[in-house]
Order: sequence, then structure tokens, then C-alpha cells
Amino acid sequence: MIWLQNILIVLLAGYMTIDQNGPVVLSWFSAIVGMISGLIMGDVSTGLMIGGTFQLMSLGVAALGGASAPNYGLATIIGTFIAVRTGTGIDAAIAVGLPVGLLAIQLEVVARIILNFVAHKMQSDNNEGKWGRMNRIALLGPAICSLQTLIPTVIVVAFGASVVNLILKVIPEWVTNGLSIAAGMLPVVGIAMLMRYMPVKKFLPFILIGFVLSAYLNVPVLGIAIVGFAAAFGYFKIQLEKAETAAAVPAAGAVDEMGDDFDE
Amino acid sequence: MNNNTEQNNTIIGTTEKYQVTKKDLSRTAARYNFMACNIFNYESQQGPAVAWAMAPVLRKIYKNDDEYKAALNNHFNYYNSTTVMSSMILGATLAIEEKDGIQAKETVQSLKTSLMGPFAGVGDTLVWVLWPTIIGSISGYMAQQGNPLGAIVWLICNIIFWFIKCKFFKVGYTSGTKLITNLGSKLSAFTEAASIMGLSVVGALIASSINITTALDFKVGEVALNLQTDVLDKIMPALLPVILTAVVYKLLGSKKWTATKLILLVIGIALVCSFFGILTV
Repeated sequence: MIWLQNILIVLLAGYMTIDQNGPVVLSWFSAIVGMISGLIMGDVSTGLMIGGTFQLMSLGVAALGGASAPNYGLATIIGTFIAVRTGTGIDAAIAVGLPVGLLAIQLEVVARIILNFVAHKMQSDNNEGKWGRMNRIALLGPAICSLQTLIPTVIVVAFGASVVNLILKVIPEWVTNGLSIAAGMLPVVGIAMLMRYMPVKKFLPFILIGFVLSAYLNVPVLGIAIVGFAAAFGYFKIQLEKAETAAAVPAAGAVDEMGDDFDE
Repeated sequence: MNNNTEQNNTIIGTTEKYQVTKKDLSRTAARYNFMACNIFNYESQQGPAVAWAMAPVLRKIYKNDDEYKAALNNHFNYYNSTTVMSSMILGATLAIEEKDGIQAKETVQSLKTSLMGPFAGVGDTLVWVLWPTIIGSISGYMAQQGNPLGAIVWLICNIIFWFIKCKFFKVGYTSGTKLITNLGSKLSAFTEAASIMGLSVVGALIASSINITTALDFKVGEVALNLQTDVLDKIMPALLPVILTAVVYKLLGSKKWTATKLILLVIGIALVCSFFGILTV
């Protein structure tokens, strides 16, 4: 029975991250996760109370745009596991759960850096025409993601919660900071790649407009997109009118084309 | 250069068109909504998940291997949005690819880039802030008292949301089909217009999603100056992200540098600068 509980708790922890990243049925919504951990441990009300506490702690904290927020779901699983297994009170379980949730967030940064290489492997498989392998390698993604929460849970289940605190102390601060700094800088590679694919030289002013609105005026991206839409709308209309005049007066078309060639 | 590739592809891509079925749509939607952030990486974010989700249906659309490769590579690019809303964007681009094939590559890219930001703006607020705050506080308080009702209702809603997300993909597909039929010959003007909108979003991304902050202080006599807040921010906000973007953009243009090398370089720089306290989180 104890072994079955251990295995189910570990599986729940691993699946939780895959779910948060994709289907969002359990996610790491603590109230739901607490209920399920409680069911596994045979004490639903303890699970609910711990989950409810973490749920209220997490309100207003959401992971957006790939930013890292504390993993309250894992904290709930660990808290429930410890509370039911060792019989410590709910407050003590919460104190144990939080650092484990923090460890998972450190591991998230590592996982997402590793996934960069998975992504490149997929793309090189595509270029070589090995699509079967590309599709299979993609499954490493969810597997690696699940390790973020699976590894800390295995450690707690096997060795107890004190080991997690020890691990957090052993990792030097400059390493965890360094990884977070890297996480902040790395989107630059993707954005620059995207710019290589888009007509940057032709429409440079619009990048500048977007930048100024965001950097100087802190306009949210929806506002910037509306400005972009206005510009796009105007451009589209002008192009259509040009095309109509070009169709009417063939000579005018030649002049327009020369203007368009400015691009590359 | 763009014009040349377009012309070549028109010559190759004249085989009969594949008609996307309802089953294709359900399968692609399910694949996307499952994978979403599960191959999330800091460089291309959801890019590989989109490519993986689209791979089977695109294989049916592109019978030519080179076109298929190019179409997938197009989807491997940087992409990120709230998955619920993004189902609509991807449904629409699928409709465009079904109709116009590889010629529409740039249209697909521009449409994705221009819509992902605003859709995420709306989607993140609704899906990740508003809804979890409301249902989370209700079920959180209930759970604290040992009452599972809130949590159960939330769980059921989430299961229903899964089907709504998959439905949104079909909604996107239908509107994408309408869009592409109405545009017809105006497609190239539309692509350019969409890339204008897309690039203004890219400009915002440079300022908002690249984070690099220096921790350096230096002393001038009695006065201590913080390089970030007192110097760099005074020159221009997000100055370091701009410089970084310019450098990486330039390096990507040279044959010697690949994205993988640049990623390793960035991680290396981050660790070294963290060790010496040059950069901070």
C-alpha cells in the first residue's frame, strides 16, 4: 500500500508539469492537486486544506510568457505526502513543501535550456528528412519537463524532505542566478532568428515604433498590436489603390516595382 | 531573393491540393494543445511544439519533400501565445497553407507573428489571471475548510475547456479559409501588411521579453553610480536588450555562427557574468 502510494505520488508530480504545459486539466492549481494527492494518500481533507492554503498563497501569481513562478502544485503534493505520512501538522507540512516547490523552479530553467537542444535536434532531423525520428524525439520534451517535478518528489519520497533543503544550500548562488540571467537573455536568439525571416530592412520603422511604445511608454503588447494594425491597414489600402492604378495605367506599374525592389 | 524562391515554388507546387478533413483538424488541435509548452525552450519557445503538432497534416498538404521541410522550418521559428487563443491562429494558418501551399510561407509567418502578441495579451489575462483568481479563491477557501466542491467544479471546467480549445482550432480554420478566399490576388499586399503589424510586435518583444540587467556600480569621488539605473536607463530604456539583439542578429547573418553556438555563448556569458557580479537577475 505504501509503495503504491509512493509510486502514484511520484507519477502525479511528474504528470502535473506535463499537464500544466499542455492540457491544463490539473495544472498546478493547488486546490485540485491537493484533492488528488489527498485521495492517493487516503486523507482527502488534509490534502484539501494544504492545497487550499497554497491556492490562496498563489493567487495573482501566474507564470506568463515563460516566466518562472513558484511551483505551488508541487509544494501541495509534497506537503500532503509529508503531512499524512509523518503525521506532522499542516503548518509544518507547508514549511516543508515550499522549498521543494522552489527547487522545481530551478530545475525548470535547466529543463528549458536542455529543451533548446531537443528543438535543434528536431529541426536537423527535419532537414535530413528523418521525420519519424523528429516526431519521436519531440516526446523527450514532455519527459524532460516532467523531471522538474518528478526528481524532487523522488528525492523526498526516498530520502525525506531535509535532503531537499541540503541540495538548495549546496548549489552556489551564482549558478542559480547565472541560469536565471541566461533565461532572461536567451529569447534574443529566437527573436533575432525571427527577424532574419521577416522583411526587417524594408519595414524597420515599425520595429522602432513598437520598441518605443513598449520601452518608453510601457504600452502593453495589445496596444502596440493595435497601432501595428492601423499601420498595416493603411499600407494594405495604399497597396490596393496602387495595384488598381497600375492595372489601369500599365506604365505606372513599372515605377512601383522599382520602388518595391528597395527591399534586399 | 524572396521573389526568386516564390517563383521556383510555383513551378514545383502544382500538384493537386489536399483537402483537410475534420479528423485532421481534431488531431492537429489535440496534438498542439497537448504539446504546447512541453518543448518550451527560451530560444524558439513554442516553435517546436507547433511544428510537431502540424507535422502529420502538413505532410498530407506538402507531397514534395523540399516543400515539407521548408514548411516545417517555418513553424520551428519563435512562436509563443496563450494556447487557447493560439489554437485559432494556427487553425487559420493551416487553412492558408492548405489553399496556397508553400507560396504562403511568408503570409503564415507574418500572421503568426502579428497575432501571437495581442492574442496572448487577451488570453493570458482571461485564462491565467482572471479565471484562476475567481475560481481559485472560491475553491481555495472551500478546500481550506475541507470542502472538495470547488476543486471538483474547477476540474470539470478544465475538462470542458480542453474541448473548447480544440473547437477554437476549427473556428480559426474556418475564418482562415474565408480570409484566404477573400484575399485572392491581394495576398502579397496582405502579407506585407501583416508583417508590418508583426514587426511592431517584434519591436515590443525586444523591449519586453529580453531581460538583461547589469549590477555594476562605480564611484565618482563620493558619489556611487549604478551603471544600470543611473547611466544606461538614462541613455535609453532597454538599451542592453537592443545591443544584444543587434549583435545576435548580425552574427546570425554570418555563416560561422549557428543558433546552437549562440545559445551556448549566451549561457556561458550569463554564468561568467553572474560569477563576477557583472549581470544580475
